[in-house]
Amino acid sequence: MSKKERGETIWTSLDRKATAIAEFTMRQYRTRLSTWVVLGVGFLAISVVLLFYIDAMNTEIEAIDNDGDSVDWDGDGYVNGQEFKYGTDPLDIDSHPGLLDPSIEPEPASMYINEDDYDWDYSDASLISTGYDDDGDCRESQLLPSAQDGNSDGTPCNIILIYNAATDTYLIYADPNVDEDPDEDRYGKEAQHRAFILGVGKLGFVFLLSIFIPLFLATGLIRDEMTSGTMQYMTAKPIARGEIFLYRMLGYLAIVWPYLLVVCSILAIVSGFMGPGDQFFRFADLGVWFSILIAALLATLVYGMLFASLGVLWKYGIILALPIAAWELGMALLSMSVPDSSFLRMSIVGWSMSIIDSAAYLVWPDMDMFTAAGAWAGGSGEASIFFGTGNALPGYRALEWAQSDIGLGMGPYATTIVSMVVLLCQAAFFWFIGQLIFKSKEIV
Amino acid sequence: MIPDLAQEGAAVEKEWVPESQAPVVMFNNVGKTYGRYQAIGGISLALSGGVTGILGLNGAGKSTLFKLLMGKLRPTQGEVRLFGTNPWKNPAPYARVGYVPENENMHDWMTAFEFVSTFARLHGLTRDEAKNEAERVLEFVGLSDVMHKKIGRYSKGMRQRAKIAHALVNDPDLIILDEPLQGCDPLARTTIMNVIRELGRMGRTVLLSSHILSEIERITEQIVILHQGRLLAIGNLHAIREQLDNIPHTIEIECDDAKALARDVLNLEVVHGLQFPSSSKLKIFTHHLGEFHQRLPKIIVDNEHNVMAINNPDDDLQSILKYLTGGVR
Amino acid sequence: MTEEPTFDASAPITGKGRMDTAWGSDSADQATVAKPKAKTGQVFEQVYVPWEGTLNPRWMRNWAIFRHHVLGIIRKGHRPWGVPTKLVLIFVLIASMTDVALTLLFAVIGEPSLYELWGVGRNNLYAHVLGFFPRNMLFYPLVAALLVGGVISEDRSNGTSALYFSRPINRFDYVGMKFLAVATIQSLIIIGTLFLYYFADILSMGRGWAWILDTFPMFLTTVFCALLLIITYTSIGLALSSVSRGKFFPGIALLAVLLGTKTLAAIVEGLFDRSILYLLSPYDSLAHVGQALIGTNVMYNHPWIWSLVSVIAINAVSLYVLSVRVSSMEVTRE
Repeated sequence: MSKKERGETIWTSLDRKATAIAEFTMRQYRTRLSTWVVLGVGFLAISVVLLFYIDAMNTEIEAIDNDGDSVDWDGDGYVNGQEFKYGTDPLDIDSHPGLLDPSIEPEPASMYINEDDYDWDYSDASLISTGYDDDGDCRESQLLPSAQDGNSDGTPCNIILIYNAATDTYLIYADPNVDEDPDEDRYGKEAQHRAFILGVGKLGFVFLLSIFIPLFLATGLIRDEMTSGTMQYMTAKPIARGEIFLYRMLGYLAIVWPYLLVVCSILAIVSGFMGPGDQFFRFADLGVWFSILIAALLATLVYGMLFASLGVLWKYGIILALPIAAWELGMALLSMSVPDSSFLRMSIVGWSMSIIDSAAYLVWPDMDMFTAAGAWAGGSGEASIFFGTGNALPGYRALEWAQSDIGLGMGPYATTIVSMVVLLCQAAFFWFIGQLIFKSKEIV
Repeated sequence: MIPDLAQEGAAVEKEWVPESQAPVVMFNNVGKTYGRYQAIGGISLALSGGVTGILGLNGAGKSTLFKLLMGKLRPTQGEVRLFGTNPWKNPAPYARVGYVPENENMHDWMTAFEFVSTFARLHGLTRDEAKNEAERVLEFVGLSDVMHKKIGRYSKGMRQRAKIAHALVNDPDLIILDEPLQGCDPLARTTIMNVIRELGRMGRTVLLSSHILSEIERITEQIVILHQGRLLAIGNLHAIREQLDNIPHTIEIECDDAKALARDVLNLEVVHGLQFPSSSKLKIFTHHLGEFHQRLPKIIVDNEHNVMAINNPDDDLQSILKYLTGGVR
Repeated sequence: MTEEPTFDASAPITGKGRMDTAWGSDSADQATVAKPKAKTGQVFEQVYVPWEGTLNPRWMRNWAIFRHHVLGIIRKGHRPWGVPTKLVLIFVLIASMTDVALTLLFAVIGEPSLYELWGVGRNNLYAHVLGFFPRNMLFYPLVAALLVGGVISEDRSNGTSALYFSRPINRFDYVGMKFLAVATIQSLIIIGTLFLYYFADILSMGRGWAWILDTFPMFLTTVFCALLLIITYTSIGLALSSVSRGKFFPGIALLAVLLGTKTLAAIVEGLFDRSILYLLSPYDSLAHVGQALIGTNVMYNHPWIWSLVSVIAINAVSLYVLSVRVSSMEVTRE
């Protein structure tokens, strides 16, 4: 044969078939209005969340006086903080710094709000000594040295964080008045930023887009052609049905993957510029965005294979797809609250989300400490004398909702690799099942 | 990895080679049932070379036969062989087959050129080879002037020709056309018939199905008649026709004066008998339909008969089938 | 006679022209080829005879359409709903009766604390119609999706809408009856089981008039909410069905609208603590209205009137789309 003489192998001809069907499928999708409607609506949905994020980033979070020293209990014109500083009695109208010699002018209350922000340095030690008393109400107070070292670690006016590996939480032992009035805006924006990336990544990309786009685009990948009878043309060519299935899938991916890349990039760029912090662009976050992209790509691959197989299996494959989508929603929520649940191993979304969790762990190693700080809220998070009930910092709840630990019990790199391998195996499995069904289908 | 799954048995490592001695198409006691409905019951048939017309009424099993051959259906009994290979779950022999399905749905969003060249690539052609081939076959079926228009805008005849072009792109040895003339206007019919005749001249094996005898008659002399999933007749059209001519054909004429017409017609030697169902109707029996029809106009015109209608109640597949099934149905 | 046959109106039918066509090109050389010889044209007088039958009244024709669709669920010979659709309907019907079964069960056991949990009450009535999991996540949207899935789009793709429009049936009646039929089937499931639940409670607990007077307004409010839910799901679904051709697209799109907007709103609420986006979600707006009317705990921060407005707006937009699409629908096989 002349083909052999030209040094062509079965692989080059396979490659021709593959690109032919993939291009064909791509063009088919491009000419359908419904494809653009689905993709457009998906983009719109994600954009709505982005708009809320932009709004949140542009809105100053109202400062809260966590330690309550900006109020003036006795009404002498000097806020409590100033009275504490000069050692006068905050409950006595006749005792204030104005009576001292030299007389001290009253300071505005705003000086005593957010005046002692967090100065926490992250390290991965299990016992961290950190914190700095910015406003000096510990260092320069008239407290006894033993009282300044309330947590008895030998260093006055610091904070001790002890990591409890069993519960994966930090215990906070703070000396009095250290970092007790954090900056809500600074904390809240950072927390909302991280929560946004994780929340939109997990529920927006890996759940919403990755379920509904394959549901619309992949369920009919083979089935529609079989129903309309146009599959007759393709199955009459010397090409195995398993290949047709696979190459149609490639065409579908050639539409969906660039779309995800574009949407993900837009979000990464906008949030990179909008995000809080001194830097011009938050480059570190790109790691998390990249993991979100990878997770979404793999999820659309696996769901695509699954739904296309269901479509081949039964004319009403959509009925089977719906309970699966509901199960996946349940698993998505479960993975955000109990990331180490073994149910998650029987889902697609659970594996995808652990990729994002791993990346978040690498990019933001201080996440546990950061959430602990939000819950602690300068001491007022837990029961405190000023507020009575727990009062976490703004953004903490969102972060707590969106963030979860790596549930696989492995390191972040291992988790990423294992999850990706599992997802690829799931895709291969569904493809194998799908083409097996397709091959034994009679095409009437 | 993929070739492994392509075949049910061994892996396709070397190129598929047809069995040299095997007939192109072979059915050995093939049956196909859908639930309790028997579409095809025990057909044995072998075909090689030439143009063969498969005749049958709707539901006779023509499309089922073709779909069995194309591995789209699995036979419930017997064995199907395409170039000596079982086509079920094995697409390898399709490299030498072109199939034109009956289905009218096409990829309306493509141009004919894209359609043909895309599917040519599934035969392992490169992009350029596929484009050249597509141009060649579209020229062959006479679509080269409109080949860059969307198929959705084509007329039925053009769609059929595009389908035929897509089937010819691999230069196949066997071409299967399922109802290629259905729904076409006379002009398109003629074009498609010429294409099919041309293919026959080129030495291809062509199978085409139809339920209209006169269509097939104009293309080929080799026919297979199917009826209710069974083989009724096979062989040369003339031979079958010969047998058919031995039974009288009926012609019904409605006219003003049936008796007068009967007098004139009786002079013809081809007329075998007469009948008067009513005063204005005349039934004529003849063995040689063609000859009678050639003579009839002259009689009518010469004798100034006022004829309202002429019906040939037998001159269709239905009556041939009636004869072949011995009037049982 | 050598004269060529003529083809004007008074000419006798000689069968010549007919013969040409019958024998086509094979005998073309022998046959006489017809050439029109008439010099003058002729206009045939057209007489239209009015139809003198009696047309059934409009409601009767509409009733026939309605009946055709609803009876298709249980009987052959009417609109053929798919077997899976029927299976899902039966499944959802049974699953919707869990509270009926539990009420009866605990009434028989006679354990008051368990009965409190399952008997008729504000929360349970609300949950029967508007509870999210599993009813409005899995059951009712799936039923609506399957019912609306092909109800218009299948007619469009098969060309069977022509069968209706070639009869004295107005397009709005056609769509209206489809709407009613789909809504009726859903009502049988949702409101039918609600009635069963209520009456099971009355019978099993031997309720007196005082109790009935006490709970009946609440029950009626729930029925109202259920109607609102059914109408909303149906109008969204039919609007989607009228804009598409496929069988699955309207179904998937309905589910995407119902569950997608809810997920989206949940993301925004989780991240930014704003519940306003729930106004976009048909289910949440309905649930909010239901919570306010039935009097259970309201779980949203915005005023419930907004949700009511949103429900009305969603219906209005859907019905507008539906009517525009149907009035401009081409009666053809697409």
